[in-house]
Amino acid sequence: MALPERRRLSRRQFAVLGTQVAGAIVTLALGIPIIGFLISPLFRKQAFTERRVGDISSVGTDPVKFEVTFPQNAWDVPEVKAAVYVVRIGNTVKVLSNVCTHMQCPVRWENALQKFLCPCHGGLYKRDGSYDGGPPPKPLPEYVHRLDGNILYVTNEFTESI
Amino acid sequence: MTRWLGSAYDWIDERAAIRNLLRKGLYEAVPVRGSWFYTLGSATLILIILQLVTGIFLTLLYVPSVKEAWESLNYVKQHDTFGSIVRGIHLWSAYILLFVIGLHMVRTFFSGSYKRPRELNWVTGVILFVLVLGMAITGAFLPWDQAAYWTAVVVTNIPSYTPLIGSFVRALWRGGDAVGPITLVRTFGIHIWLLPVILFPLIGVHLALLRKHGEFGSYVNYRGAYRTRQGVDVPPAPPQRRIEPPYPAAPSEELWAAPLEAEDFYPHQTFKDGVVSAALVLLVFALAVAIGAPLEAAADPSTTSYTPVPEWFYLPLDQLLVLVPRELIPLVLVLPAGGVLLLLALPFIDRGPERNPFERPAVMIPGVFAVLFMLILTLLGSGRLFNL
Ligand code: HEM
Ligand code: FES
Repeated sequence: MALPERRRLSRRQFAVLGTQVAGAIVTLALGIPIIGFLISPLFRKQAFTERRVGDISSVGTDPVKFEVTFPQNAWDVPEVKAAVYVVRIGNTVKVLSNVCTHMQCPVRWENALQKFLCPCHGGLYKRDGSYDGGPPPKPLPEYVHRLDGNILYVTNEFTESI
Repeated sequence: MTRWLGSAYDWIDERAAIRNLLRKGLYEAVPVRGSWFYTLGSATLILIILQLVTGIFLTLLYVPSVKEAWESLNYVKQHDTFGSIVRGIHLWSAYILLFVIGLHMVRTFFSGSYKRPRELNWVTGVILFVLVLGMAITGAFLPWDQAAYWTAVVVTNIPSYTPLIGSFVRALWRGGDAVGPITLVRTFGIHIWLLPVILFPLIGVHLALLRKHGEFGSYVNYRGAYRTRQGVDVPPAPPQRRIEPPYPAAPSEELWAAPLEAEDFYPHQTFKDGVVSAALVLLVFALAVAIGAPLEAAADPSTTSYTPVPEWFYLPLDQLLVLVPRELIPLVLVLPAGGVLLLLALPFIDRGPERNPFERPAVMIPGVFAVLFMLILTLLGSGRLFNL
């Protein structure tokens, strides 16, 4: 009598196993493409673009704001505007982004303060972009750039990722 | 005519048993004392349904693209009076919903409604609360005006302070390193599909659990009934009127006691629910017509003059961003996450049978401090932003 009983049990176990395998197949077949689709933007190599900013011969020791447009992080249209702060420190030129390293709010040069001020949480940076006060963990990001005489070209890439 | 309707009803009832369903749905017993406070749950429900309905209609016009999102809403603003009202209802009902869900939570906290056997009512509630906050914050991205854009930048940047996987999480949400076209469509999808398909079934679970155990209400409905175990107090005689399941006929077991006085859900509780909900919906409507939903200038990532002002419900977190020292920024993630975990754990920490808030100082005092902490952060935040 023991034998048919075990056989009945194994038939049941087979059904349990089959249900689980079927469930796993469906889960994987759905899960893999969906997760791959979700994370695909992370592995797409970002194409960096260089753009002409303009003549910076008039820029002195106070930061001056320029505007450039760059392609967006996905489909290209419309291109997105970015602010570039250019300042002369001694005989080097600093090309700063206005993206605050705290939460990425739009930092501005405050002439009266002689500092960069972040309007969100009051982060402060010195004229060369170095940290001066408030919550930002790092100095202002610097753009990868190139000078051709007095003509400035900027790439939409920071020298250090933020 | 009525005879015809009646037999149609019978025909359907015979096949779908709706009569039984209605009877079960409408004639549930609800504790009488304090029942105006028990309207907060249904008010939350009505407001969230208002969100669903107006949200569906907004998708008939809104275009989820960085190129056209602002344009489509600006068209509504300029040329479509009723569309503007629908937008206004969606915004103001969201604001009031956040307020009312908070009150509902505070009231079930005060009354100790989360205790056995209703722990899962509370746990599903906490998850609903988090989901509603998620709806509010993702919704704030969608107009793609200056306010929306900078909210998107700051909010998607906060997860980047998660240790180890931070920039991965940020890039996952943004669809790349920077906020851009993919950020908006992803957030749109999260706002109109992902969160709602979890949220609405979970409301179903929350309400099914409510019906399973019955409304607890407040300790005032059970005076004396909780001392039976020590034998100090003889439980009051079972009330004269019929008590519907799920309450036992006599309050013999202290944790499962029936309220001293109960009324039928319909029409007694539904009357109070209706009064409160109708008042709130009228308020929403008035605000929608009088103030409406703002639309600032279109998003400009290169601005150096715009001052981002966070949504009011997100002010406590924004003030934390100001207060937390720059070496400890991950705290702005740890504190809220810890808060949510504590809330989830509450019914398993505070397990004694005592429901009277004045006899539970060990939870009431930290609870009051938590609420005060949020209020103070909000006040500090608004003081900073509006120079009060
Ligand atoms: C979408 C959100 C929610 C909806 C639609 C909802 C709906 C309701 C309704 C209609 C009731 C019964 C009436 C009442 O006691 O007010 C209720 C009870 C309850 N809710 Fe919620 N709720 C929501 C969120 C929450 C949250 C955030 C919490 C707490 C974290 C919570 C915890 C509870 C508890 C513990 C009860 C049982 C109350 C008792 O039996 O005395 N709910 N809910
Ligand atoms: S984003 Fe600049 S200080 Fe917070």
